[in-house]
Amino acid sequence: MIPVTDLRTLEDGVQQRVVITGMGMVTCLGSGVAANWEALTAGRSGIGPITLFDASEYLTKFAGEVQGNFDPTGSIPEKELRRLDRFQQFALVAAAEALRDSSLPCPPEDPLRCGVIVGSGMGGLATIEKGMEIIQTKGPRRAPPLLITMAVTNLLPGMLAIKYGFKGPNFGIVNACASGASAIGEAYRAIHDGRADAVITGGTEAVITSLSVAGFNALRALSTRNGEPEKASRPFDSDRDGFVIAEGAGIIVLESLEYARARGANIYAEIVGYGATDDGYHFVMPDPEGEGAYQAMRLAVEEAGISPDLIDYINAHGTSTDLNDRMETVAIKRLMGPAASKVSISSSKSMTGHLIGAAGAVEAIYTVMAIRTGTVPPTINLDNPDPECDLDYTPNKAKSRQVNYAISNSFAFGGQNASLLFKRAD
Amino acid sequence: MNDVEKRVVDLIAEVLVDVNKENIQLHSKIVEDLGAESLDIYDMIALMEDEFGLEITDEEVEKIHTVKDVADFIRERQAAS
Repeated sequence: MIPVTDLRTLEDGVQQRVVITGMGMVTCLGSGVAANWEALTAGRSGIGPITLFDASEYLTKFAGEVQGNFDPTGSIPEKELRRLDRFQQFALVAAAEALRDSSLPCPPEDPLRCGVIVGSGMGGLATIEKGMEIIQTKGPRRAPPLLITMAVTNLLPGMLAIKYGFKGPNFGIVNACASGASAIGEAYRAIHDGRADAVITGGTEAVITSLSVAGFNALRALSTRNGEPEKASRPFDSDRDGFVIAEGAGIIVLESLEYARARGANIYAEIVGYGATDDGYHFVMPDPEGEGAYQAMRLAVEEAGISPDLIDYINAHGTSTDLNDRMETVAIKRLMGPAASKVSISSSKSMTGHLIGAAGAVEAIYTVMAIRTGTVPPTINLDNPDPECDLDYTPNKAKSRQVNYAISNSFAFGGQNASLLFKRAD
Repeated sequence: MNDVEKRVVDLIAEVLVDVNKENIQLHSKIVEDLGAESLDIYDMIALMEDEFGLEITDEEVEKIHTVKDVADFIRERQAAS
């Protein structure tokens, strides 16, 4: 029997370097990477009252809703909107931006070498809720014929395959708050291991719904600072009281360096490491010692073959919950040792809220933008730091800093941890 | 076109996103001329049922071919009730 390692070296194109060539996003800060980056570096909050359903009886009455027309370039024909759940709409708009940005020819020359891997924590929950209401009020015969296609997470990567002619590896990733980062990590692996040349990847989520907010409230996970929604997401601050639910999508195009160079593509940054672990500790509480989070970051750093003190920036998971923010601080200190006091950290969730399955993807894009622009976005609402959170979280104001290596962390209910390590393009 | 026919055309246009509404004529065959696939038909049935407050069985659908067939079916039902 040939050992697995030997088999891998027999394959053509193994151990490919993986680069980002296109990015697109929709969040409560706006549509498009440019609008998002402007708001994020200006320290603007996108959090406001819930309008998607009547939240007057709910413990939490605010969220990070995507506002108004989020498809300014009309990438989805208006008539198709009613056949798509909101989580699918966000991803289609973000993907259109990312593909345009990458100038990757679609359909690609070798469609089987081009895949789609997109994450979503809860898929078409709004469609499921509406479908349930219809069958309860009108009877089971009246269930909408498109309920299933709008509800199921993997239909979205399937739709992207149709739209762009990508016929290679295709699947959805369900990993709660780490879905987006896990999808990007698995897409990176597929290219790195020679199984694909290009992958459309990222995350999408649209669960500002009655059932979801009621459920997270029942779990006591959400902030209830109803009087000051913009100040509710305050990672690492003593006065935090839970996370702020939000929605949107982040989609990126990954390619092997070889494939990207051959077509003269613009390269934003390189992914040089990915660590995936689970706490194996508790189904919703993170391990307070941060063991799983530390191991995910360590694996990413070891894969890149760098010393941890070379990391300039960490886009933290930073949910604005006591348990996460303290655990993540412990894990970063363990990874970096004394260098932990020098690394710039920030939580973009202070402005975007927590996009659940899209969070890891939009934060990956913000991390790449920090590398590209030499600007570290701030953690806003950090007025009174938790004494147990004593690192540099870039409080309230963006900072200029050359970023050569940066980590984006995502941790999930379920104990899943995903760390992505990005490097400035050569 | 009468009112029912106009509403039927609107609903078919809502489902068949690639078809220009002007091309939906009373004599148009929904599958052959307008290119509806099975999922489109199910979607149309659901919309018609909602709009006109009736139930259409799959057997009844088999006898419907043109836009006019749909409108006639609906008007017969309305007259019967």
